[in-house]
Amino acid sequence: MCTELSLKSCNKPLNALSCVRCLSGERAKRGYMNQRTAGAGTTSPLEGYDAGEYFCEMFGRRGLGHTAEIRKRLNALDIAALKRRSRDAEHELLNLGITFTVYTDRDAIDRILPFDIIPRVLSRKDWEIIETGVKQRIAALNLFLHDIYHEGHILKDGVVPEDLVKGNENYRPEMCGVDLPHGSYMHICGTDIVRDEKGKLCVLEDNGRTPSGVSYVIENRHLMMRAFPDLADGIPVADVDQYGERLMRMLCEVAPKGVLDPCVVVLSPGVFNAAYFEHIFLAREMGVPLVEGRDLEVENDKVYMKTTTGLAPVHVIYRRINDDFLDPAAFRPDSRLGVAGLFSAYRKGNVTLANAVGTGVADDKAVYAYVPRMIRYYLGEDAILPNVPTNICREPAGLKKTLANLDKLVTKPVGEAGGYGVVIGPRASKRELRELRAKLEDDPANYISQPMVNLSVCPTLVGRAVEPRHVDLRPFALTGQSTWVLPGGLSRVALRRGSLIVNSSQGGGSKDTWVLL
Amino acid sequence: MTMRRSSLLARFAENILWIGRYIERAENLARVLHINETYSRDQTDGPDWKRVLEIYADLEPFSKTYSTPDAASVLNYYILDRNNSSSLVESVRAARENARSVRHLISTEMWTHLNIFHGKLKRLTQRDIQLPDLSRLASSVILDCQTFEGITDGTFARGEPWCFYEIGKYLERGDQITRVLDVGFHRMSQETPDAVASVQWNVLLRSVSAYYAFRNRYPAGSQSDDIATFLLYDTEFPRSVALCVQRMTTRLRDLQMRHGLEHSVNLEKARRGLEFSLETGPGTGLDPQKLHVFLDQIQISLGHVGDAVRETYFTHS
Repeated sequence: MCTELSLKSCNKPLNALSCVRCLSGERAKRGYMNQRTAGAGTTSPLEGYDAGEYFCEMFGRRGLGHTAEIRKRLNALDIAALKRRSRDAEHELLNLGITFTVYTDRDAIDRILPFDIIPRVLSRKDWEIIETGVKQRIAALNLFLHDIYHEGHILKDGVVPEDLVKGNENYRPEMCGVDLPHGSYMHICGTDIVRDEKGKLCVLEDNGRTPSGVSYVIENRHLMMRAFPDLADGIPVADVDQYGERLMRMLCEVAPKGVLDPCVVVLSPGVFNAAYFEHIFLAREMGVPLVEGRDLEVENDKVYMKTTTGLAPVHVIYRRINDDFLDPAAFRPDSRLGVAGLFSAYRKGNVTLANAVGTGVADDKAVYAYVPRMIRYYLGEDAILPNVPTNICREPAGLKKTLANLDKLVTKPVGEAGGYGVVIGPRASKRELRELRAKLEDDPANYISQPMVNLSVCPTLVGRAVEPRHVDLRPFALTGQSTWVLPGGLSRVALRRGSLIVNSSQGGGSKDTWVLL
Repeated sequence: MTMRRSSLLARFAENILWIGRYIERAENLARVLHINETYSRDQTDGPDWKRVLEIYADLEPFSKTYSTPDAASVLNYYILDRNNSSSLVESVRAARENARSVRHLISTEMWTHLNIFHGKLKRLTQRDIQLPDLSRLASSVILDCQTFEGITDGTFARGEPWCFYEIGKYLERGDQITRVLDVGFHRMSQETPDAVASVQWNVLLRSVSAYYAFRNRYPAGSQSDDIATFLLYDTEFPRSVALCVQRMTTRLRDLQMRHGLEHSVNLEKARRGLEFSLETGPGTGLDPQKLHVFLDQIQISLGHVGDAVRETYFTHS
């Protein structure tokens, strides 16, 4: 049983990149000296706040103009008032049942994703970079997916190694030759973006299978507006409420040809899934049925759901089930979550699956390294949002750089085993480094390396003080005929001091994310 | 975007029906516990807790875990016991789990209230269910059930799902009242002293919120067959069997006429059977044995309707 709210796409191997976030770096502590005492001794929340060597989302390096009014309003409160509002908000999360649920034999234990009352604010300029960058990236990824399941130009031209793609466990040869409406594969994509210590935005990973977390974006906003209406009063913050409507519109756009009034459903693994709350949320926001595999049936390559009046046709399925489990007849025969015959109906074009089958190959951590080149190859553009600099060791230059900096870099095997074999240079022993070097020289194609990224921080209410905590950002993009990006996204925050881990199981929480207009 | 006819999944219809049933069940159980404690204190040996076990035909399962039907054991069995599927905490848990599955179909307020309600019950410990606290606890459970019903009334769209909710609610309510009546009359035949009988009748009336309503209708006094007639047939009294059957029938008809659900011969047969049993009645004069057979028949008929609803609407494939 999954005991954490998996904000990563299910079953995705632990991305080595995400391990960068999983380091609670000793180096980090320098920036935190004296903060607790400074925070506790004053009444104004932001007084004495010091982000240290990190880039601060609220202050920037020297104080960001666009957050001036928000800072002023925050400072007008005292810590106790902030604390009170924060408690009310978390209490409301429980009452509203905005929880992920951990099941034991007898009990359903509801946990909330801790919510921090101080919003993460993005300037219009930063948002423009993110929005155009995400759109560009998804355009390239969709072209890439179409290409590798059709002619394979990019492979023949040697831009992305063929064995890397076709040998990938998430590559689905069954998808070859299948044409999708508007060429959209990643209908829903969550791109994990971080900011380094200089304030530069870069992509940490793409989540193009079943990315979760969008429900928190919208619920956090509602919560914020109830708990803290005066903070945003008169400040033009981009609205996030349109997500459900946009999602519905997009799913209708990609319905099978000839279906004018498609029946859309959300397919969930069921109440035992940690993200079940989000599945409910999505179905509600769109006003469509939330179904499980047992509610669906395939007859003559057409999909139906079992209603009180009998079988009703289904045209578009927003599935929150991994490829493997979708159809026991096509993939894992032991899957009890899926629907037998679904894939065959899909191949015939009688039903749309969002996201498409086989997108996992494009958000793979090895393929990730090639995304900037994909963008150049398909779009003739430079990536607006760069990757975290990645050395591809199958290339001589990358290998050389990696070998020369083993003690400073994070080195990761790109093979199938998730998280296995990651070596964090600054923390590795001499022996480990020696062994890594041997492995690298033996099989360089199996490795990539990256510098450690020091994520930006955001003022966060911790105990009775406001302290800097590391954050990342996952904006959500919808792609049918075109791509739309929900303004904002999920800001996850590592609540533990010095920690770079934003995952909920590791003490992560979330913040409302404001995009200023 | 165009409006589309709702296509309610069979599974969800069933979930919703059970929300109605479980909340009604919890409310009635809380009433019975409350009343049993409050209005039978003047009996020499204190409240008779075995009586509650009789109402729900739970003597046998109870005796598997507990030795004597004393207050502590019976209260634990009906409030906290996780192994008793109809204990308060289990009923509300089940209502909430059903609601979780259909949360996208019910209102946020309904879900929130169930959540809060369940949270309260889950935190209860042995200490909270002592006799002196029982009245407060039962009142709060009743109020939470009524609040849920009120919220549902005020926020739940009157569509197909709501019909199933109502059907569940009235099936359960009808069943509950026949049980209360059955036990009331059964005991009456054994304990004849008038003073005791009068107290017992009042307990019974109060347990279904019928005391004042009955007084209003029959100012002259409390003839036992008047009480039976009132609880069975008074269509102004919101918990009478006749009203429950009437409401349920209306919702079944709505499903067919307004929501296009198929008519099923079995369901119609079961519904008519229930109406027929009710119309036939227990006969005039107070014959506890005849009444018992009659109430049994009503319970069986209600069960048949429940089964037929399930077969007709929940088992499509």
